[in-house]
Amino acid sequence: MADNRELIKAVKETVSREDVKYVIGYKKGTYGFQIMPAFAYDTKEAEEFIFSPLCAKNLATYPKLEEKLPLRRGDKEDTRKVGVVVKGCDSRAIVQIVQEKGLKREDVVLIGIPCKGVIDPKKIDKMFPKQRELAEVEEDESNNYLVTINGKTHKVPKNELISDVCRSCEYPNPVAYDILIGSEIEEVEVENFERVENLETKSLEERWAYWENHFSKCIRCYACREACPLCYCNECMVDLLEPQWVRRSVNLSENTAWNVMRAFHLAGRCISCGECERACPVNIPLMELNKFVEKEVRAMFDYTSGIDEEAKPLLGMFKPDDPEDFIL
Amino acid sequence: MENLTLPKDKLPEMLAEIAAKFTLIGPKEETGFTEFQEIDNPKDINLDYLISRVPPKSLFFQQTETLFAFTKGKKAKVETPKIDPGKRIIFGIRPCDARGYALLNPVLDGQKEGDYQDPFYKQRRDRSTLVGISCNEPDVNCFCTSFDIGPASTKNLDLLFTDLGDKYYIDVITKKGEDLINSLSKLFVKATEEEKKDRNKVEKTAVASITRKMETEGAVEKLGKMFNHEYWEQISRRCIGCGICTYLCPTCHCFDIQDENTLKEGGRIRVWDSCMNPEYTHHASGHNPRPSRMNRVRNRVYHKFNYYPKNDGDFLCTGCGRCIDYCPVNIDIINIINDVKEIEL
Amino acid sequence: MKGENPYKPSLAKIADITLEASGDRAIRTFRLEFQDEDIRKNFTFKPGQFVMISVLGVGESTFAISSSPTQKGYFEVSAMRYGKHTKALHQKEVGDIVGARGPYGNNFPVDEWKGKNILFIGGGIGQAPLRSVINYCIDNRKDYGNLEIIYGARTSKDLCFKREFEEMAKMDNLNTHLSIDVEEEGWNHFVGFVPTNLMRLKPSPENTIAITCGPPIMIKFVIENLVKLGFKDEQIYTTLEMRMKCGVGMCGRCNIGNLYVCKDGPVFSWDQIKDLEGDM
Repeated sequence: MADNRELIKAVKETVSREDVKYVIGYKKGTYGFQIMPAFAYDTKEAEEFIFSPLCAKNLATYPKLEEKLPLRRGDKEDTRKVGVVVKGCDSRAIVQIVQEKGLKREDVVLIGIPCKGVIDPKKIDKMFPKQRELAEVEEDESNNYLVTINGKTHKVPKNELISDVCRSCEYPNPVAYDILIGSEIEEVEVENFERVENLETKSLEERWAYWENHFSKCIRCYACREACPLCYCNECMVDLLEPQWVRRSVNLSENTAWNVMRAFHLAGRCISCGECERACPVNIPLMELNKFVEKEVRAMFDYTSGIDEEAKPLLGMFKPDDPEDFIL
Repeated sequence: MENLTLPKDKLPEMLAEIAAKFTLIGPKEETGFTEFQEIDNPKDINLDYLISRVPPKSLFFQQTETLFAFTKGKKAKVETPKIDPGKRIIFGIRPCDARGYALLNPVLDGQKEGDYQDPFYKQRRDRSTLVGISCNEPDVNCFCTSFDIGPASTKNLDLLFTDLGDKYYIDVITKKGEDLINSLSKLFVKATEEEKKDRNKVEKTAVASITRKMETEGAVEKLGKMFNHEYWEQISRRCIGCGICTYLCPTCHCFDIQDENTLKEGGRIRVWDSCMNPEYTHHASGHNPRPSRMNRVRNRVYHKFNYYPKNDGDFLCTGCGRCIDYCPVNIDIINIINDVKEIEL
Repeated sequence: MKGENPYKPSLAKIADITLEASGDRAIRTFRLEFQDEDIRKNFTFKPGQFVMISVLGVGESTFAISSSPTQKGYFEVSAMRYGKHTKALHQKEVGDIVGARGPYGNNFPVDEWKGKNILFIGGGIGQAPLRSVINYCIDNRKDYGNLEIIYGARTSKDLCFKREFEEMAKMDNLNTHLSIDVEEEGWNHFVGFVPTNLMRLKPSPENTIAITCGPPIMIKFVIENLVKLGFKDEQIYTTLEMRMKCGVGMCGRCNIGNLYVCKDGPVFSWDQIKDLEGDM
């Protein structure tokens, strides 16, 4: 795993560059197992950066969140680069956005960290409830997490705490980076789509009952959309009024439309970071939907999102030899 | 009426009677979290929870509400929908959520000169009886004691049940609570002095286990002086605008109004909205007085701790801690107000 | 009234439509009469208040009442065609039904201003709420001193209430000063922005109340210039707008600081809001 000192050194190097505005990374939160995104504008602020299995947040959402506010007369736009600390999945998000021309690769400086998986905040909260003091987590050599609370260390098998999406992570190493912290991870999991198979074996009635139960709980807070690094449309289809695609009233029909349409808009783009599922306050298993679509995309087009900067986005391009037998 | 006790094993019987005579609404667990739903079978009630995920403001201030129905055209008509009368007993409300209702009243049921009342909120609230449950074991981010309430506070409730181990101690607080007790069969016993002491002990232990405190003294004045401070830029950098804080807050009440219809008829509906959304204040002309996340995060903090106190006298916060528990980027309102106190101007 | 549904509109018939400005940003003045006779007879308001007009099935918008309360039996709103709802409103014809509820908000303290001179500074569609006060003053002419009206728009096509300005030009004790932003053939009056025109005319602050309304940026510069000309904060009034939904102080979106534009406004004096500039 990454060495914090190496990370801080790399961040200081990056933030001292003339052409870098600030660097985004992780630092300790305010209680328990919390980690908060940190913004370092100078080398002093860089000293707080850390990396641990608790750093789940996908920081690739931030470069697209910067607001372009109107400038005063005479002021010039600050076009300096933004540094981002990225894990494997985060770097895939950046690459996918670059593919779609949402960002220019030169606009970001990527500090890549190979990652063996992050902890699911819900699981660790259940195992060690009501933590007030800040706790620390490390990974040891034998697939255990060492959770240190109030000076006492507990050894927990990795399997019990790791996020479900990380179980089948095929890209633990960043696919794009300017600086790499530590060394690349050799063993790589294979995507077995186990969460999808759960649904695939159920009958249509069972599937409807399952998803009806979940979608009726949706409160349309759109946290899934805001947490997702790839949902960066200036005007989301669900906010449009002229024409209106999805009504704003909260009922099963509209909730289903919203969740299913979002999964479709992420077809060929979702990079399985799991942020949507982590953010959802009513525990909707959104990754099951996204993984299902990903499985279909792989089967039909043999395409994986967020790997190659030069590749064209899957559903944004048309090749002359694409099959058309269903049209003509 | 004097305070009463109820043996724990009689609780299902009492709930079954309520469910038969009135409409019983209580905490039910599904898909990993608890929410308030209509209960037919008292076995469904889950009292192992601390606070419901979605606050019970949704019972009076519904997420989707039809304000009126209309038919279009030359013979246009508008009609207010009838809300069906019928008593509702809401069981299992925590003292912080009860305070949430008290804070919503001046907005949705204003009594000052020139105020308007929301008939939907008002009608539902008027025909509901609030039966509270004390919190024996508060959570990490509970800070209700920073406002004038506590884990066993009787404010804003009609009845309050406190778990004493083998029985519940019942504080009978208002006439509505008394009426409810009188309408149920005689399962209750008058409480003894000893039991009252036990109840106070439980309260004391619970209060002592609340470790986080928000320094609210002088917050209104201090905030009034630092509107343009750079602190707001720093604290809002990591906000992603997800809006979870507003949807899960018991006192957030912003809403949107839209028309939804088919060709000839439809209704004007009201849905919850969030000030964290950029569209919230977006004018048709394109001008947006709160264009960046900094403006919106600052506006939310000020609404709760400066604007509402100036208009209606109290902080618009109940100390439930939901916004801290579920913020994906760990924006911590307790730390924000405590920082505000420390900042030197 | 307490107990009633504040969101439910009453139905009103469009009695007359006047096209004030044509083109992309068309402006039309709608004259509305309530269908219910009791409401129509008893509807009253003070200058500066607003109503919520809705095309059923499309949406609802806030409009300042642009007619004076001295004109009985009807009220007028002037609307610019911009978004989903106003586009539907502009397609309506005389005789169509719309929903209307109000009046809401506070009003210009016209009773306090008796005996004073009044200076109106309007820009574009911002002239609509000022027109309510202007017509009120004209109908109660003896109660007020000098009336000066400074009004400008982008082009001559965007100027509103042209017919009324022609009539006002003939009145004594009332001066109008029109302007457009860019040179145009056949335009004989001032060319330039409204705040510039204001500085050029240098009106005296002696016993005068200044009211301004227009785009936010224009209001900002006009008030700056008024202060430079010696107007005190209590002499400067404006009427503001924010995106509104409920109009009755419940939905929380129209606030400027701790003031709600629908309840504590839309009329504000400068000393009330000058500290809240960051939130406008």
